[in-house]
Amino acid sequence: MSKNGQEHLVLTGVVVSFNGFQAVDGLTLKVSKGELRCIIGPNGAGKTTALDTICGKTGLTAGSITFMGKRIDNLEEHQIARAGIGRKFQVPSVFRDLTVHENLEVARSKRSGVLANAFCFERDSEREELEKLAEFIGLQECLEIPAGHLSHGQTQWLEMALLVAQDPELILMDEPTAGMTVQETHKTAELFIRLKEKHTLIVVEHDMGFVKEIGDVISVMHQGKLLAEGTVEQIAEHPEVRSVYLGTGGIGSA
Amino acid sequence: METFLAQIITGLSIGSILLLVALGLAIIYGTTGVINLAHGEFVMLGAYSAWALQTFLGLGLIESLVLIFLITAAFGWVIEKVVIRHLYRRPLDTILATWGIGVMAQQAIRLSAGGELRYVEMPSALGSSVSVLGVETSAFRIFILLFTAALFGVTWYLMYRTSVGMKLRAITQDREVASCFGINSQRTYSLTFAYGTGLAGLAGALVSPLKSVSPEMGTTYVVDAFMVVVLGGVDSLVGTVVSAAILGELTGFLAFLSNDTIAKALVLLTIVILIRFRPQGLFAARTRT
Amino acid sequence: MKRGTAIQLGTYGIVCLAFLLVPSFVDDAFILNKYARYLVLGILAVALSLSWGYTGILNLGQAMSFGLGSYCMAMVLKLRTVPVHTGKAGLPDFMVWNNVDTLPWFWEPFHSMAFGLFAGIAVPVALAALLGWFVFRGRVTGVYVAIITLATLVVVNLMIIDQQRFTGGFNGITDLAQLEIFGLTFDAYGSSSYYLIAAALTFCLFFALAVTKSKAGLVLQAIRDNENRVRYFGYDVAFFKIFAFSVSAGIAGIAGMLYTIVMEFASPTFLGVQLSLSVVIWCAVGGRQSLLGAALGAIIVTGMQGALSESETFLKTWTLIMGFIFVVVVLFLPKGLAGVVEGLSNRVFGHGDSSKPEPNIVPDSLGAKSEAESLR
Ligand SMILES: Nc1ncnc2c1ncn2[C@@H]1O[C@H](COP(=O)(O)OP(=O)(O)OP(=O)(O)O)[C@@H](O)[C@H]1O
Ligand SMILES: [Mg+2]
Repeated sequence: MSKNGQEHLVLTGVVVSFNGFQAVDGLTLKVSKGELRCIIGPNGAGKTTALDTICGKTGLTAGSITFMGKRIDNLEEHQIARAGIGRKFQVPSVFRDLTVHENLEVARSKRSGVLANAFCFERDSEREELEKLAEFIGLQECLEIPAGHLSHGQTQWLEMALLVAQDPELILMDEPTAGMTVQETHKTAELFIRLKEKHTLIVVEHDMGFVKEIGDVISVMHQGKLLAEGTVEQIAEHPEVRSVYLGTGGIGSA
Repeated sequence: METFLAQIITGLSIGSILLLVALGLAIIYGTTGVINLAHGEFVMLGAYSAWALQTFLGLGLIESLVLIFLITAAFGWVIEKVVIRHLYRRPLDTILATWGIGVMAQQAIRLSAGGELRYVEMPSALGSSVSVLGVETSAFRIFILLFTAALFGVTWYLMYRTSVGMKLRAITQDREVASCFGINSQRTYSLTFAYGTGLAGLAGALVSPLKSVSPEMGTTYVVDAFMVVVLGGVDSLVGTVVSAAILGELTGFLAFLSNDTIAKALVLLTIVILIRFRPQGLFAARTRT
Repeated sequence: MKRGTAIQLGTYGIVCLAFLLVPSFVDDAFILNKYARYLVLGILAVALSLSWGYTGILNLGQAMSFGLGSYCMAMVLKLRTVPVHTGKAGLPDFMVWNNVDTLPWFWEPFHSMAFGLFAGIAVPVALAALLGWFVFRGRVTGVYVAIITLATLVVVNLMIIDQQRFTGGFNGITDLAQLEIFGLTFDAYGSSSYYLIAAALTFCLFFALAVTKSKAGLVLQAIRDNENRVRYFGYDVAFFKIFAFSVSAGIAGIAGMLYTIVMEFASPTFLGVQLSLSVVIWCAVGGRQSLLGAALGAIIVTGMQGALSESETFLKTWTLIMGFIFVVVVLFLPKGLAGVVEGLSNRVFGHGDSSKPEPNIVPDSLGAKSEAESLR
């Protein structure tokens, strides 16, 4: 499973309980450096909650998470981000009052201290780089437009571009292609394959076509647990996975 | 023992007045999210209505209550229609707008009724004192306590046992979804706001014989009422009762121990600390966030 | 962006220059004193604009920093009068009247002018940092911040009134000496004080502008917009908020010190709820998201208040009018007068982007809920 033989992110027996309801129930997951891991599973399987635990949005009820050998489950969100984990949310979440360019600037957060930023006026020096990024996501015309004016698809793109600008070690993507056309989905796949060169990615997706296009290893979650793990073919053959998806019309259309 | 009991009863009396004033605010804030800083001015309008009805029409306090409720509710209804309804999506701005309304209301009263103190007579039947568990207490204060309990009962019934209340709670949960189910949120909000301000008016009328009536009287009430609501938890009616009782007892007790200023400061500090550690209030139900 | 910044700098410069030129045209000491007062309140509004307009912290206790600055200045100036007023006892007059026989320890350092000037900024900043740490570390947001700041203001106010022996109580600290530094005397009714204040306003405006133009300023705006999202980029939101809150308090402290100079006393009303809420109004009227707008809002509103309350016809109705204007501004001009001017100039000159939307003012208060949802 581990390509480079190095375990990057390890979730061990993670449990998240909401008033007694176990949204994540003893999840154990290992992701190695440079991997692009897809997580699939029916609605309510706990995929988003699992990502929430990694980036510190939701506390653990039990279990532990380590990243690059260090415990991160007791850190605050910003500390986890500084440790090198970035996150795209299921509902696109950007700064709606700020322009696209300003959004990208905020995301570029290698220096995150208050004082370092208070004396930082050289904001235009990174402009070229950010413009290139905007061009790549097709927003070069919109740099000075408030992000609140973008369409849903553009907002999705913007949030992904924010992650590229943030440049974290590990990127968590929650349903990046939701609401995208076939072409856009394809372009997203392209982006991910490019990102894979320098980053580790965990992508939660429902679109199996997309998963097939990008995924190395797929983890299937169901009712808060890890149901199966393997390549696309292995997963498609897996009897339990098939039975879980049977009700929803089979894995192909999940 | 005697003084202790007397202390408890004083605290309860303070608490019941707090609850009376806070109830309307709690309903408005809890359901519409509007922070009505003009609430104190509605209390003041209620008190002035009582005074006007007594002075010009010779009506006694008890007989005027229904009329006072209607007058202040009508005021609230108009203000909701004209101002508040444009601000439901900007809750922080409701603080500003309602404060402006409060300023206007104060000045309008000062110009029309004069700035001097006014007095409302206590209903003669309640002017005496009664003995509760061996403690002499003013009958009027006991009346307020009972009246508040009754009002609370009515409000609770309206919120949880009638279709209007059900609609209201549906809107509070999710306005858009509720309107998809054909619930007219505009109308329900208007009614809620009017009801809340009507309650404030009643509160003003009932406290008017205890304290003098002045254009500024609302300011202190709104702060106290706010503290009660925040402490009790935004959408918990029962929490409002408990926190009114706690604050009432606390105020009475601290005032007994030290001077008034220090007591007030200590109560405020307690509230600051409580908000810091439990912003959802002491008694709020935990829901999915 | 570049061009926008240049225009902005130009506008700020011209307005400040205009303020500095006023004494060349006005030589009535009373009028000059009045204008100086308005400018001081302008500085106070700049402070609130920084925390409310740029960071989304609705600080209803801004007058606390202002009042503390003002008391620090008053304490220094009071001690300068001691030899004149109370001779050998060496105590400020009100302490003598209250039967205090030794100068309390916290008054001692105020014998030094330098310490007083330092304290006028440092005390508000330290208190704000402490309160900010308490509040923002606990992730208290929106309305609750407003309530906590207001309650804290009231507590401090009550303490000052209660400790009459050391603070002068209700009367405040009166009968002060004139400020003298570097051989210059600042007479409340002279042009020297006016220049001092206009220069301070200029300094504070440009300083605050620099803060908002820095990367930190951008992060502050991002926090106003969607504070939870900012965390996932690695910024410590609490520290950024504490920073904005403290800087804002420092500016308010400066304003407070200057206010003592023009008013020639310090009073508990300087830390009053009334004043604190008024600052919010000025900012809202002028435009909370524009530092200059906020300053002008304060100057215009207080100026109007002054003018209306002096005229026969409006003596009684000006409060009514102010309340009305305020409600109208909140309803129809969420960006205040600055928003109107910006809109007009965009239409006339066509620069910048006229498509800037109405600010999204929703996010914070019912905050916890809506923000959490936005991160699902
Ligand atoms: N804050 C919360 N409070 C209570 N229950 C929650 C909370 N967050 C998630 N849940 C529940 O946990 C379960 C898992 O939710 P989650 O959002 O992780 O699912 P998901 O796999 O991402 O689903 P989808 O594919 O629909 O996005 C759901 O049943 C959900 O109702
Ligand atoms: Mg999900």
